[in-house]
Amino acid sequence: MEVGRLPISASQRSKLIAAGYTTLSSFSSLSPSHLARDLKISDNEAAEIMRVASHGHRLDGSAGGCGTVNGAQTAWDMLHEEEMFPRITTSCEDLDNILGGGINCKEVTEIGGVPGIGKTQLGIQLAINVQIPVDYGGLGGKAIYIDTEGSFMVERALQIAEACIEDMSECGGLLRKDFQACQLKMHPNNILENIFYFRVCSYTEQIALINYLDKFISEHKDVKIVIVDSVTFHFRQDFDDMALRTRLLSGMALKLMKLAKDFSLAVVLLNQVTTKYIDGSFQLTLALGDSWSHSCTNRVILYWNGNERYAYIDKSPSLRSASAPYSVTSKGIRNSASNCKRIKMM
Amino acid sequence: MTPENLLHRLPSTQKCTFGCPVLDRCLGGGIPCNSITELVAESGCGKTQLCLQLALSAQLPPSLGGLSASSLYIHTEFSFPSRRLHQLSHAFISSHPRIFNNDPCDRIFVHAVYSADQLFDIMPKIESLLENTNTQLPVKLIVIDSIAALFRSEFENTPIELKRRSSLFFKISGKLKSLAKRFGLAVVVTNQVVDLMGHSEGMNGLKVGNLGSLVSSGRRVCPALGLAWANCVNSRLFLSRNEEVVGEENGSVDVSACGGGDFLPRQTRRRLHVVFAPHLPDSSCEFVIRREGVFGVER
Repeated sequence: MEVGRLPISASQRSKLIAAGYTTLSSFSSLSPSHLARDLKISDNEAAEIMRVASHGHRLDGSAGGCGTVNGAQTAWDMLHEEEMFPRITTSCEDLDNILGGGINCKEVTEIGGVPGIGKTQLGIQLAINVQIPVDYGGLGGKAIYIDTEGSFMVERALQIAEACIEDMSECGGLLRKDFQACQLKMHPNNILENIFYFRVCSYTEQIALINYLDKFISEHKDVKIVIVDSVTFHFRQDFDDMALRTRLLSGMALKLMKLAKDFSLAVVLLNQVTTKYIDGSFQLTLALGDSWSHSCTNRVILYWNGNERYAYIDKSPSLRSASAPYSVTSKGIRNSASNCKRIKMM
Repeated sequence: MTPENLLHRLPSTQKCTFGCPVLDRCLGGGIPCNSITELVAESGCGKTQLCLQLALSAQLPPSLGGLSASSLYIHTEFSFPSRRLHQLSHAFISSHPRIFNNDPCDRIFVHAVYSADQLFDIMPKIESLLENTNTQLPVKLIVIDSIAALFRSEFENTPIELKRRSSLFFKISGKLKSLAKRFGLAVVVTNQVVDLMGHSEGMNGLKVGNLGSLVSSGRRVCPALGLAWANCVNSRLFLSRNEEVVGEENGSVDVSACGGGDFLPRQTRRRLHVVFAPHLPDSSCEFVIRREGVFGVER
């Protein structure tokens, strides 16, 4: 803490600074008589200064002595926190690799692509994978799935859930010695029960629901992922007032970012693609415009490369640009079966 | 706001059968309720045939794969094919003798629409038809044949008009989906195709769904209404029609030996492909159109 912030008289302050004591820590460990000699003041006065200084130090709070603003953290603390939360796997090793292990909690990830590329499939896979128990390397959490388009088909979710349980049992079987105690007791119906499914039919419902999630998640603390499929459908209708649309979208984005941070969960937003006239030709771009593109921490674009599906990291503060192949199988999202696949670094 | 209990949807989403087990198998049981399914094909491939057949089989009880429901058939291009409907319904009654007391054609409500704005204008009327539970069978199937005709002529090719057109897509699709959710409807729309010219570069050549390119009558085609409309439907099925020389596939005919292809017997092969669907893998199945209806063929 700066000497300048101590509630002491101006002359005392100028004597401290002249003697070279600019911060609390520089003289807090001295004895009062030592300080008195340095400042050429009486012992009593020095003791008084020390008393005020230690009081101010105690009010300061954080051990690192850095925080003057409530809620600030050191980067070191943040790194430790980040390492504590495992990422949510996508069940495709290549995809997990370019994502740094999977979808990150505390962040908003946007995933966009053409119809039929597998956005809903990836959404369902993540809603199931978040439930993988901690013993199997997952988060053991629940999922909130907000369906705006009606693409969620329960039989497909059941199919993917059954495949996930099968994979886990195989994995558990290999590591038998440690997992005797925690035999996998998951049933596909349990997995479906742990997905909180909301269907919204208009943009007002969508915004109302996202505002309500704060309350919902505080009552269901084990929710670890919120998936919106798709975030864009209800906003592509004609808005008489485009400024209203921008306001609504940015409000929604802020709300989602806050949810991610406050509850340490992952937010995955599925987006559609549209065409944009750039440099004399039409190019594919994610919908909702330029201002929306700032709303997400990470951006993944799914695209076709010949007959193969690829995912590309378009924007991320911590991941490098790379693309990886994946496939959609009857079991869900899996590695691509092609022989000549490789992860391309940009 | 409470979340929906997914276990209530088990074992699977309700579907409307086509009345043919082969077609149903290809499509996981039929046309799903609570979503919009698009049938894309060039003219004469069988879209209307399939729609008429669905309107009849929707009246079957759920134990036979139907919805025990009436249908609303909105037609936009040609006059409603009532003679063909009567022909199909006779075949239908004879194959399901004990189900129908009345004429199944009485359970199909027909309405003509000529523009996109008109479609939007009649939505309140549609809603009251759906709410009307006084009739014996409530309406649970809506067919729009075809959606493309509503949009293809009245919008100019300027950016503003195209933008207005695409926001109309989302408005109509949003309204249909919200009705589908409220009343548990199956919505089927048919769409036309446009030819793909020259290079596959450009937006029309963009691969959307499982098929690298859609081929019908030997030409590369792509669905009308563009990428924006593709984002509005839940599933897309493509019907193709191609001519093949009889016997060519199993080598029983040597084309070159017959002195050129002109005098070889040809037949039309029709296929139904799944372009994209959230619950179906990439699959396709061959079908034929007979007097009694559309039937899948297993070869």
